[in-house]
Amino acid sequence: MLSLLICLPVIGSALLFALPEKYVRLGALTVSGLSLLWTAWLFTQYDMTDLGFQFTEHLTWLPALGLNYTLGLDGLGLLMVGLNAFLGWIAIYTTAADVERPKLFYALMLIVSGAVAGAFLAQNFLLFFFFYEVELVPLYLLISIWGGEKRGYAATKFLLYTALSGALILAGALGMVWLGEAANFDYETLTQIDLSVSYQVLLLVPLLFGFGIKIPLIPLHTWLPDTYVESSTPVAILLGGVLAKLGTYGLLRFGFSLLSDGWQVLAPGLAVWGSITVIYGALVAIAQQDIKRMVAYSSIGHMGFILLGAAAGNTLSLSGSIAQMASHGVILAILFALVGIIEKKVGTRELSALNGLMNPIRGLPVISALLVMGGMASAGIPGLINFAAEFIVFQGSFRQFPAQTLICVIGTGLTAVYFVILLNRTCFGRLDNERAYFPKVTIGEKMPAYVLAVVIVVLGLQPGWLLRWGEPTAVRIIIPTTKVEAATEQPAIASLSPEVLLQ
Amino acid sequence: MPNIVEIASSSDNFSTLTAAVKAANLVEALCSEGPFTVFAPIDEAFAKLPPGTVQTLVENPPQLARILKYHVVSGAHKSADLGKMETVISLESSPIPIRVEPIFEVKNATVLTADLEASNGIIHVIDTVILMG
Amino acid sequence: MTATLIKPTLPPSTHPFADIIHRLEAGGSMLPDTPENLKQIIGIYKAYAVPMDFYWRDLLYIGEQVFLNPLPFFKYFISKEYLQRPNDYACANCSPLILRGEAVVHPELMYFIEKGEAGRKLPKIMHHLWHGRVNMEFAEACMRSMFWHKDINPRFNDYLYTDTYKAAADKAIRAYFKRNPVMMGLYKLFPEMFLEKVRELSYYANLGLFWEVMAPVFFEMSDIYDEGGFAGVPDAMDFLVNGIFAVAGRPIYHHAYINGECFEIIPKSAGFTWLYEAALPYVEAIFYRTAPFRGTKSYNAQAKQVPAEQQNFHYGILYADLFPVGSAGIPPTLLMQDMTHFLPDYLLETYQEHGRGEDDLLNQVGVTFQRSMYNVTSAVIQALRCALLYPLDDTNPEHLKANREFFEQNLDRFTRPEARLKEIQKQKYR
Repeated sequence: MLSLLICLPVIGSALLFALPEKYVRLGALTVSGLSLLWTAWLFTQYDMTDLGFQFTEHLTWLPALGLNYTLGLDGLGLLMVGLNAFLGWIAIYTTAADVERPKLFYALMLIVSGAVAGAFLAQNFLLFFFFYEVELVPLYLLISIWGGEKRGYAATKFLLYTALSGALILAGALGMVWLGEAANFDYETLTQIDLSVSYQVLLLVPLLFGFGIKIPLIPLHTWLPDTYVESSTPVAILLGGVLAKLGTYGLLRFGFSLLSDGWQVLAPGLAVWGSITVIYGALVAIAQQDIKRMVAYSSIGHMGFILLGAAAGNTLSLSGSIAQMASHGVILAILFALVGIIEKKVGTRELSALNGLMNPIRGLPVISALLVMGGMASAGIPGLINFAAEFIVFQGSFRQFPAQTLICVIGTGLTAVYFVILLNRTCFGRLDNERAYFPKVTIGEKMPAYVLAVVIVVLGLQPGWLLRWGEPTAVRIIIPTTKVEAATEQPAIASLSPEVLLQ
Repeated sequence: MPNIVEIASSSDNFSTLTAAVKAANLVEALCSEGPFTVFAPIDEAFAKLPPGTVQTLVENPPQLARILKYHVVSGAHKSADLGKMETVISLESSPIPIRVEPIFEVKNATVLTADLEASNGIIHVIDTVILMG
Repeated sequence: MTATLIKPTLPPSTHPFADIIHRLEAGGSMLPDTPENLKQIIGIYKAYAVPMDFYWRDLLYIGEQVFLNPLPFFKYFISKEYLQRPNDYACANCSPLILRGEAVVHPELMYFIEKGEAGRKLPKIMHHLWHGRVNMEFAEACMRSMFWHKDINPRFNDYLYTDTYKAAADKAIRAYFKRNPVMMGLYKLFPEMFLEKVRELSYYANLGLFWEVMAPVFFEMSDIYDEGGFAGVPDAMDFLVNGIFAVAGRPIYHHAYINGECFEIIPKSAGFTWLYEAALPYVEAIFYRTAPFRGTKSYNAQAKQVPAEQQNFHYGILYADLFPVGSAGIPPTLLMQDMTHFLPDYLLETYQEHGRGEDDLLNQVGVTFQRSMYNVTSAVIQALRCALLYPLDDTNPEHLKANREFFEQNLDRFTRPEARLKEIQKQKYR
């Protein structure tokens, strides 16, 4: 059942080559749409009362290596798979109709989407690693073929960093199995191993740096601005919206829940790391002159919240982190989509050259309005998707790490600063008459942003629909750690029900 | 000695002006004691105006009277007197700039004949209808 | 005559707009003479004339009939009599026969009033609420601008404060509120307020009488163009210059009709003329000055972004940034929207070929309108030159110098950065 999420895009991508060129886009959308529908169906079938993995599939693959084809879904995985399917479809929809070599492009996009789904579904560390590496190749090609001016440089940098990240993760995985003397890499097996705290800390180091590159955490982030900025819009949406989540997902799944004792030791440092990332991302974003780069740095800053929530490690903050992963993906997708449209129509991303796009007829009023909404959502304005997620992260982490949390709260304020700068310069003011002859934005170009906007508002008004999926995972991965946390009073799980949160 | 209106109506050059003064009901005023200084445009001056201008004015006596009053200054000023003043105030109450060097000019009109004496003032014959503003 | 036959020449101008000055000295317009420009300005004159045909009728209707109605909800619902009121300048009514058009309301306007934007017959109130109507708010904004910039119309404005005027207004106010003790009581308490309202109504009449001339002039120009009568932009300008002179002496007055009785608040005998008390103040108030529109841009008065002196205002159509047109409720949007209903086909085709086609129609119309108003302003400048200065072919170099100084003074006003004179020289500006 779950394998379909991996097979469908991969088989679909092969079929694309058989289609005549003008139907390729439609074909890709269909394949991606089917994945989305399938994921939606999984959401309806998911049993909220069951805290374990559901829809599991198991195939022994290479017992000698401990590599099994084990798939399963818990709330976290389901949410991530949903995000991947949704943003995958959005990314394909955002692709320019006149993209060069469309067959290859759409095929690679589908393969990335399938591989990422595989990584989220994999309940075997080695299988996860396999998908994690597989996704690299098509992405490298997507950046280096369809990217901007410095695409070669950006793609190579991306490849080197991510390959290093993969190596570190592999080291962590191998270490875990060897030191824990586990029979294989299956997640279930790995939960059974008993490692001393010092080993756990030792194993967390490569995992933290490995996933830290992917997230990215400063100072491991230097590949990100170049890669995001040089990528075409659909690729940037996939990178920022989905791929970055592999890092936090991996950290939660294989770091936090498997090495919880070690995590407890490192937690205060991780919270500091998260808060520094938040502040750094925000401050650097303020200094940017290129709006896409600004969005890229904003992405770095917001990933810090997820780390903070994970570091705090209580049910509340974890639920918040998981929700934040989804909301970050959706917001980043809308921001990249809008910035992409602005760049395409106006011909520049320079803050100094952009102005007055809110102009009702000659500007890009709808795009500007959506950009305002995207900025507000990113800054955590109540009623939009990010507010609930951030708020819960803060509420959960404040008990453990008040100082770090307060620094992160300041970071949210700084988000507002750079988005006000961005909006003020691009949307408001006087439209420069010399260059204000932009082509109009077609309804098709606006559609992805509309869809994302609806999601942002609906989940902002009804955050329960977002939070409920992460909750079982949050509860379940906490359980082994309760012994450590016994001293700290846990917030009642009941308080997580959306009705209570909204009151 | 004939008065201003009599001098104007006795000349062939001022038939339009005479008709206009009549239409504007200014005959009586210009026959009065005065004294006045009149800048009198010749027929050609009126003919120079774009078509319809004069006709519209003739149909609207109060408005015509205003334009004509712009050509009249109270007091009898000979060219020698006018040379000492840069502007004079017309009966319409707008100012009229005057130059005498190198040639005698009243606003954008050139004086063709200066210092015609009448019983109740002086007439300067000009080649262009002068307008306020 | 001692003048030689050789036409005296002046050295080239050193003005920043030297090219345009030379063009004006050659009898041209500030707008370059291209077939595209001619097509655009004539097309827009026609599109402007149709709503203007409503503006002047309704302005006179408000000034003469609605008068001091304390609740003028239906002031834009013009009476049939005013809708069919013969234009004094068209056809047989105007003795210097320069205009041939119909004296009654334009058929396209009639059709629009009946069918509105929806394209079907509905009760008037529905058209009004759905904005399927002529935006009289624009006409009123122009009126208010003239009313506010009182320094440019000193003679007319001073008259509004004379005892003669006050007595006439008082008589009309008393007659109007004869059967309304409440309003009469208020008048006793606040007479100045009512007088001020009547002054405003006098400006309604003033602007109405001004546009009563302009509407048929523009219709006539459109007709001449359709017949192939204009060879270029200067021809169109000359037509306007002649038109200005032909009607310059028409009276400006304010009559109010109360229960069928005519009250001459400003009688025709006050001697106010179309040129001096309406046209020139209008050009200054509307083309050059007006006031910043709310909603398009923030102005910080403390930072001196708004001039301290009224005469330094520069928010008129000649300076306007037309790209914000489309913002809700601002006067330029109202006018452009009115004009889009009556665009000739050839102009619609041009618009569809450029920019965003139908989607930025309002902007394209606005830019064309700006071009056309530069041409009207050129006509005014040439008319003034003709009235106050010397012929272009004058043989006296001193006279030519005076002409040039006059042109330079006028163009000096367009050296400020907001002015669009530079833009309209280029066809790319749309």
